[in-house]
Amino acid sequence: MRRREDPELLSGKGRYIGDLTRPGMLHAAFLRSPLPHARIVSIDAQQARSMPGVHAVLTADDLPPGLGAQPCTHLFQGQRETPFYALTGDRVRYAGEPVALVVAESPYLAEDARDAVVVEWDALPSVGDVEAAIADDAPLLYDDWPDNVVAVFEQEMGDVDRAFEEADVVVTERLRIQRHFACSLETRGVLAEWDPMLDELTLWTSSQILHIARDLLSDVLGMPEHRIRVRVPRMGGGFGAKFHFYPEEVAVALAARATARPVRWVEDRLESFLATVHAREQVIEATMAATEDGRITAVKADILGDLGAALHTVGYGPIWLTSVMITNVYEVPNARVRARAVATNKTPLGSYRGWGQPQANFIVERLVDSMARALDIDVNELRRRNFVPPDHFPYKSLHHVFDSGRYADCLDRALGMLAERNWPQRVEDMRAEGRHVGIGVAFYVENSALGPSRILNAGGVEQGGYDISRVRVEPGGEVTLYTGLCEMGQGVKNALAQVLADELGVHPDQIAVVDGDSHICPYTGYGTGASRGASVGGASVMKAAGIVREKIARIAAHMLEADTSDLEMEDGDIFVRGSRDRVVTMAEVGRAAYIRAIDLPEDEEPGLEAVAAFDPPQMAWPYGTNIAIVEVDVGTGKVEFLDYLYVHDIGTVINPMLVDGQIHGGVAQGIGTALYEELQYDLDGQPLFATFMEYVLPTAAEIPRIAIEHQVTPSPLIPGGMKGVGEAGVIGAPAAVVSAIEDALRAYDVRISATPVTPATLLDLLDEAATRSHGAAT
Amino acid sequence: MSVPVAQDARTVNLTVNGEARTATVEPRLLLADLLREVLGLRGTHLGCEHGVCGACTILLDGEPVRSCLVLAVQADGRAVMTVEGLADDDALHPLQEAFREHHALQCGFCTPGFLLTALYLIEADPAIDERDERELREALSGNLCRCTGYQNIVDAVRDGAVRLRTTKERA
Repeated sequence: MRRREDPELLSGKGRYIGDLTRPGMLHAAFLRSPLPHARIVSIDAQQARSMPGVHAVLTADDLPPGLGAQPCTHLFQGQRETPFYALTGDRVRYAGEPVALVVAESPYLAEDARDAVVVEWDALPSVGDVEAAIADDAPLLYDDWPDNVVAVFEQEMGDVDRAFEEADVVVTERLRIQRHFACSLETRGVLAEWDPMLDELTLWTSSQILHIARDLLSDVLGMPEHRIRVRVPRMGGGFGAKFHFYPEEVAVALAARATARPVRWVEDRLESFLATVHAREQVIEATMAATEDGRITAVKADILGDLGAALHTVGYGPIWLTSVMITNVYEVPNARVRARAVATNKTPLGSYRGWGQPQANFIVERLVDSMARALDIDVNELRRRNFVPPDHFPYKSLHHVFDSGRYADCLDRALGMLAERNWPQRVEDMRAEGRHVGIGVAFYVENSALGPSRILNAGGVEQGGYDISRVRVEPGGEVTLYTGLCEMGQGVKNALAQVLADELGVHPDQIAVVDGDSHICPYTGYGTGASRGASVGGASVMKAAGIVREKIARIAAHMLEADTSDLEMEDGDIFVRGSRDRVVTMAEVGRAAYIRAIDLPEDEEPGLEAVAAFDPPQMAWPYGTNIAIVEVDVGTGKVEFLDYLYVHDIGTVINPMLVDGQIHGGVAQGIGTALYEELQYDLDGQPLFATFMEYVLPTAAEIPRIAIEHQVTPSPLIPGGMKGVGEAGVIGAPAAVVSAIEDALRAYDVRISATPVTPATLLDLLDEAATRSHGAAT
Repeated sequence: MSVPVAQDARTVNLTVNGEARTATVEPRLLLADLLREVLGLRGTHLGCEHGVCGACTILLDGEPVRSCLVLAVQADGRAVMTVEGLADDDALHPLQEAFREHHALQCGFCTPGFLLTALYLIEADPAIDERDERELREALSGNLCRCTGYQNIVDAVRDGAVRLRTTKERA
């Protein structure tokens, strides 16, 4: 089914945050710290305030007394507090931290005036590297702490020490995953309107967390929720970074109040690199134990996560998630993890598609590669021997309970594709020609359908895990669906409309989906993330639709003088099974429900709508296989894809076109992780990036065609059987790509221990290999 | 944007999507901001404002340019085509139809830039669909997309070339 919003988007009529205007609207520009760590001695905004077209300059001194700190909703046990505010007044802890806001008639004038604000800084010693930040003599970000460690998380199962003592083979990997981020092509933005008469705030924001943003605004501003209306227009991608609640959302709202005018701010690209949450960066050391016949008996891991300067909305959640996913899809009885979240003078860390899962997958699948080499067995045979078998579900992993899985079937199907395309032979032939070609496999599992609420709450998450949907049949028989989930390009509104269409027997064109308005959309517990839209959102649509469907049946049965159990619904008609001429239309039922009560059964209330919440009983666990086939140019270090195969199981597939699109985009981002993207800092925390020339996003010339096959095993836990797909593509790609590169360079015995694997990195590794073999020869 | 008119303001006369337009602008105003904020054509999107992402690509006298790297005054006397000039009232342009059919857009933010780049490429080489995949991908590599992984865009451009040829043959 084609997407409903496409004609609007294709003809340039989509209205994103930067396209919204209001009469009398002003424009905001932020002054940000140029230094990674400094005290603010003074801010002189006198000249800026007097410039033409300037309406206000706000600094921390202008913030209302009692303004709350930026909230963190993921309060894991034992984590320190790192309060920061809409504008910082005393001490900045990362380059890019906002310290003043200029409001003027145009963005040009706002930036002119911003440049006229004079700040006297007192630079402090700073640290831009996570390992340096835990050294004894490291500069401290928070003076009253003994070190820079924000949180330590530890978890263990089984008898790890004994497993290592008894192991036949032990392998260790130490990997560094670079700092990079979601980088949606549309940056963030805010448009605030504060009605001075009613004291009501309408905040338009490019955000994945509609009601959560409203609630957090309410907390910070000390203002009741019902006087705040959050609205989300068209969104140009989110990928997790817009799952956060940012200082700019508060500061722009306050600027609208201060000026009594609508104020808009749109992040520019340099700001987006500095002011939007970063992601992923970790140093992981992990060890795996196995028996000589290839049974993995234990894994332990020590994870150092670079949190940046403060805990943002989701705390150190992604670092925590890496640690508890450390056994991946394998039935490993003994595991021990330690994760440390460490403060550095860098932009705060937060969400990006997959949260901590790509890092966990990367280290485990690298260990599996090493173990296969050490045991001298085929790596996929090693996987098969250790997969959780289908009859062991529900399976308690280190932290989570996995619902279901046919892992070996999925792997075998992917290897079948590889064989069908004759890759093993073709690789041999190419190698015989002297080409450096390799195959890499990675198997992933994904945490989706987040909730359940009680489990989230018990873990410290101050958010629900449910979704609520409202389904209304209108008097004319058309259907309106209200959701708290946000459309950001992934197509969730189309998917939900398809689910609803099936439930009510109407065509999707008869359904309008309303999102992005906290006043009229039902509350979503967690927001639009964690691959939960189709599963949790879809199940709540089914539940609400079921209630409406029953009422439709009761009304139609009355009108047809039939029994409800004899009715069918199809194409907007409700008819007696087997006699299509005994029929009423949805429009006739709608008219009875709202206008002609005389047609209703005597005890039936008017109206035709229902609200229902769905809270999943457990998370769902999709999984899949990535196979990358690459060629490396040993002269230039360039990596080129020859093919990319992907087989996965996300349960029920609502719309294969949308699902494939999610996989394509996710894998492309995973390839960005593996080969291209990095937010590089110097050792003091000074950013070494400012444009897309330093932060390299892959283009059409770098990303391969991806061949996808769907294995469909409906989730046993979710009505409808959907597991979710949003993050799936990104998780396994880095491990598959890096494994393929090592395989291509097997003649040189190159070992890759960091991403991104740039041409320069590869040439260095090849040089080292040459030195090694030269040394061995002499 | 009610950009206050500075003393050194200039008058710019240009054709936008076939229509003559006049605006009085500061010399530093970007062409992208003229189109978006002054003329209200918000289909031209700004993804980086430094000429890399390609979202703001428009055709200037038929050539693709980054409207974030061109000053409004430089467009004086010239013809601009934006995404708003593609569809004919309610009917999508064949290239837009191809993008829809192949699911070549998700969030839609990069899409206007891709459409105009593709239109230029197809006009320069109507048989571009017969080129090999690598050449086509290189030709499209000046535009960034973060959602689609590009595969469906490549397919849509190929199909768009075929559709345009068919439309022209029929005409």
